[in-house]
Amino acid sequence: MKFGNLLIAGLVTGSIYAVFAVCVSVWYRVSNILNLAVGDFAMVGALGVDYVYRVKGLPLPVAIITTLAVVGVFAYAYDRVVLRLAQDGPRPMEGIVVTFFFTFALSFFIDGVAKMLFGTDVHAAPALWNGQALTWASLHFERAGLLVLGCAIIIGGAFWLYIRYTLGGKALEACGENVIGARIAGIDTRRYRWLIFVATAVIAAIFGIVESPITGYTYLSGATISLTGFLAAAYGGFRKPGRALLAGLFIGVLEALLGGYVSAEYGDTVLYAILAALVLAWPRGLGFESAVSG
Amino acid sequence: MTAALTVTNLSVSYGNVVAVHDATFAVEEGDACAITGPNGNGKSSILMGVTGLVRRRGAVEIFGTKAPNGDVRWAARHGLTLVPERRQLYPDLSAADNIILGCYCWTRSIGRARRSGSFGRAIDLFPELEPHLKQAAGTLSGGQQQMVAIARGLASDPKILAVDEPCLGLAEAVARRVYDVLARIHEQGTTLIIVEEAPKRALTLCNKRVEVRNGLAELVLSNGGPAPHVPPGEKTA
Repeated sequence: MKFGNLLIAGLVTGSIYAVFAVCVSVWYRVSNILNLAVGDFAMVGALGVDYVYRVKGLPLPVAIITTLAVVGVFAYAYDRVVLRLAQDGPRPMEGIVVTFFFTFALSFFIDGVAKMLFGTDVHAAPALWNGQALTWASLHFERAGLLVLGCAIIIGGAFWLYIRYTLGGKALEACGENVIGARIAGIDTRRYRWLIFVATAVIAAIFGIVESPITGYTYLSGATISLTGFLAAAYGGFRKPGRALLAGLFIGVLEALLGGYVSAEYGDTVLYAILAALVLAWPRGLGFESAVSG
Repeated sequence: MTAALTVTNLSVSYGNVVAVHDATFAVEEGDACAITGPNGNGKSSILMGVTGLVRRRGAVEIFGTKAPNGDVRWAARHGLTLVPERRQLYPDLSAADNIILGCYCWTRSIGRARRSGSFGRAIDLFPELEPHLKQAAGTLSGGQQQMVAIARGLASDPKILAVDEPCLGLAEAVARRVYDVLARIHEQGTTLIIVEEAPKRALTLCNKRVEVRNGLAELVLSNGGPAPHVPPGEKTA
């Protein structure tokens, strides 16, 4: 049953990577900006709830709602003030500066503020579903892990239904396909940019809250999450949320299996060697060519 | 007749380059107006300035209401839809999704859009697209893509349809088919504005012509009456 338990653990981790990869690629489709701060919003979700609940002593629902509201308002303000000036001003910026710079700077900014507010120790939001791990036929299911999987299925499913079955979802896709074509059809591409930025920031914060009881977070945890989400999104050429989701799950499961069967110590090294080899062997199929050539 | 579109002293610049200088003309409701002239002389810039795709100086009125500057969504919502040069489709979306997104300017409901008369009319006008509706638009032929672009424009339920170089890069037979469809759209009561480099083809359909040279627009033909009917597949350039 070792394989089964490793698979479950891998699916839980992979679903987190998958959701962050979907967040990165959906927003990139709309805005042509890579969100390198998506993991930092997860960190703020986890440490923010811990701070309001444990340090300030407010009830847990209040802590969660307050933290999510702060994340949402901050993301909205960042779009209005910074991204609007960068992309919608009289001389809109294009290219590598906009693609990376603004969210990279945002990541450092959030880390700095989090260090001041939350300190440098490992903390976590309180577990939302307390109790011992559930067991079925010698398979172990951590309750927090099941919550993560449930959230991933609900949020991933909602995204899929929205894009496939609503005119708004198709308009979102159109923004990523052709900005001029979208504007001609009366689609407000700027509105989609801030809507998806705020939505993905809040989704990331929710995942931080749900997942943090498993791993614990510090103010620096966001960068690692962003990196893995970024990597999984890259496997979908940054523009294919479906592929990014599968890539996220694949990376999570591979990571768990390598950790269990090859080496707990060097599992990550082997993992990234395999991922790099896959990219070299099959760049077109994995979407890397479109990611590089834009 | 009422003025569908009134353009007064329209100028469009890109940096220090003036593409259109003080263009003034009007298009009456039911007109078919050709904007002609050599390439690079400002024809497309007039359409882009009028629809708000690029910023302009001067005034544009759509059915008597002043159009805000640089707001292409406002123009689409008030009845002026652009079918742009090079079509500007969404290549990875299906042809049907491309067309239905034309409805976005008047509804957010995909059900209402699918049931609407404007979407039905757009689909009915191009029966040759039916086998390809689920195909990604980027994989269609140039002629099929042009039809999808016109159908997307029609789905927005326009009172004025502005079509930029509808036959650019198309084979003669396909270009003829595109003009047949434009004639039918005009017969059904939609005001047309067509940008064409060569006036010959456009004037088989249009009753008014604005000639553009070096960014200066001049009304050179206005016979005032209805446009001559073009039986499908008969008249060519």
